[in-house]
Amino acid sequence: MEVKYLIDIDPSGILVRYNVQMEKEMTPEEAAEELYPKDSLIYPVAKAIFEGEEDDVVEGLQKAIDSGKDPIALINDSLMVGMGVVSKLYDDGVIFLPNVMMSADAMLEGIDFLKQKAGKAPEVKGKVVCHVAEGDVHDIGKNIVVALLRANGYDVIDLGRDVPVDEVIETVEKESPLMLTGTALMTTTMYAFKEINDKLMEKGYRIPFACGGGAVNQDFVSQYELGVYGEEASDAPKMADFIKAHGDNIVKLREKFHKH
Amino acid sequence: MAVTRCTKMAYSSADEMVFGKATKPVKAGLGLEIGAGYTTPEVNYAPRPEAGASKEKLIKEYERITTDIMARMVQIGAPSVVLETEHVQQMSNHPDWGAAVAHAQKTIMEDYHDEYGIKCALRHTIGDIRESRDYLQLRGDKYNTFIEAFEQCAQNGADLLSVESMGGKEVFDYAILRNDMAGVLFGIGVLGSMDMEMIWSDIADVAKKNNVVAAGDTDCAQANTAMFIAGGLLDKNLAHTIAIIARAISAARTLVAYEAGATGPGKDCGYENSVVKAIAGVPIAQEGKTSTCAHSDLMGNLTMQCCDLWSNESVEYHGEFGGTTVQCWSETLAYDCALMNVALDSGNEKVLRDMFAASDMYRDPQGYVLAYQNAYRVGEAIAKSGNDIYVRAKNAALESIAIVEEGAKGKLEISRFETKALADAKAAFEGLTDDKDKFMSDCLDKYKKEVKVFLPENYGL
Repeated sequence: MEVKYLIDIDPSGILVRYNVQMEKEMTPEEAAEELYPKDSLIYPVAKAIFEGEEDDVVEGLQKAIDSGKDPIALINDSLMVGMGVVSKLYDDGVIFLPNVMMSADAMLEGIDFLKQKAGKAPEVKGKVVCHVAEGDVHDIGKNIVVALLRANGYDVIDLGRDVPVDEVIETVEKESPLMLTGTALMTTTMYAFKEINDKLMEKGYRIPFACGGGAVNQDFVSQYELGVYGEEASDAPKMADFIKAHGDNIVKLREKFHKH
Repeated sequence: MAVTRCTKMAYSSADEMVFGKATKPVKAGLGLEIGAGYTTPEVNYAPRPEAGASKEKLIKEYERITTDIMARMVQIGAPSVVLETEHVQQMSNHPDWGAAVAHAQKTIMEDYHDEYGIKCALRHTIGDIRESRDYLQLRGDKYNTFIEAFEQCAQNGADLLSVESMGGKEVFDYAILRNDMAGVLFGIGVLGSMDMEMIWSDIADVAKKNNVVAAGDTDCAQANTAMFIAGGLLDKNLAHTIAIIARAISAARTLVAYEAGATGPGKDCGYENSVVKAIAGVPIAQEGKTSTCAHSDLMGNLTMQCCDLWSNESVEYHGEFGGTTVQCWSETLAYDCALMNVALDSGNEKVLRDMFAASDMYRDPQGYVLAYQNAYRVGEAIAKSGNDIYVRAKNAALESIAIVEEGAKGKLEISRFETKALADAKAAFEGLTDDKDKFMSDCLDKYKKEVKVFLPENYGL
């Protein structure tokens, strides 16, 4: 029984539930069904990825291999296809972030399985280095960024949290990633981003440095040459895709991703 | 200090709860009494990024901040103010830095108090520095530095001691991104509560020894993380129905500080504080429309319903047209408090309280459950099994689910996604054991395997 309050209002005059109004007619499962590939060997893998069922992913992959499919080709032909369904429905607002995270876990399990079967590593879309600013241990935002990048086919060097500036520089020198990401919750730790920027510039690197999180804002990130501000974790794979398609021009990246 | 569990409600009905009054008011600082019939602004701030470069620069920054706030409060005739300094990591890692900042701030506040009689107090919120790069390190050397930071701040001018502790966060962070309700319950309700018991017993001892106030904790690291991930109405990162379950559980965790000897006022970002106030009767700080400088929360007015301190969460120190940010936000807070204090003086506080609640309670399931009548129900669910930290946290989750379900039959609109997430969560909680030992054993097995940064020894397990 709903509790009665002293002041009884008609909420429809006070607020608008835009999300309820905009809700899609289809359930997420129905929407996914329309996007799955028709190939009878690929379909169960893609569906298991969407459902985040790791055991079903491996089982589906084994059947596909038994039927003659190449393990390495299955990464792009089945796992990434399944993740593509997940990413599209997330971007369309049909499913929530935990669905993506569970699907990404299942996909990584599938990739490990296929690597073992093939005995070699697959080609990846590109390499990205991710870290949380020195002095800052809040890493849930970075973890989401890492999962979304991996889900989109990128090889991520995850340096973890509270990462010293020099370690970030050394990793960039060693790995030559197409992009560096940094997250921070606190204003005093995000100042490390500027130090990283300055040291990279000194060494002649012009790598896009995607920054976001808690107290980080576009004005701050715009102050240093390599900085590109990401408002949402889901901007990270979009930025990486943009770099692959259009090059690492930071002015263009800012035009595309800076919203304010 | 022995822990005394809360098994009864401090108020006999929800309707007794109002802003500015607590059953157990707290005297603090220079002439201030919190929850004693009036509300007080609590101003919170962050230094500019470059100010952390040295101890001297930080002290100077906090001196400017403190002077700006005190001067503006006097300029507009505010009768009382609390300043909250949330430590930047340098101040807690080097307790002498935090102590020097507290001393500098308190010196300025004493001057204003002496000259104008303004009632004021200084809260220092120590950073939870108990971590290494790879793991939370809740016990050991870091813990000693952590407690030393409380000690030194208490000795050098801080009147109220607080923290936003991190216990349980490693499991929670993993679980919340996977709709794993057992993990959310284990992280917040069990691990978090166990850690709180340890630290707040010690913080309460420090406070007692130094004749200052152990003011309380918040589940910012977990429940607010869920709230922030959930975001606004159009965001699709986490169902808001899941976020309110995390919040309900967090009340059982936040309560532990008071069971271990804290007396309040609870921290501003503890949106679970209405539940805690209902059970423990302690004064609380809250934030809402005046914390939009820090984040958006879908309950800008509702949170004022029974606050004793009214806060702006945190604002970076810099210039605005109306002065520095701390001047602008402290003035806004002070006017809000003046309105609440007029309501108290004129006997209209319950009308204003209900207007605050009504304006936001249908905005989203989170505000609906936290509306004081429903918050009281969550409190009752916790108190009825107050001696068992697991069962009471589970009760809180189930009660919040029941409240949202009831609301959805009435004026609370929720989306189909949120409804499904709620139903899935309900099934998950109903499938859990009532036996704490069995739950612990199951969770230890599961999360030791799945969460590589989870170290049971952090919790004495």
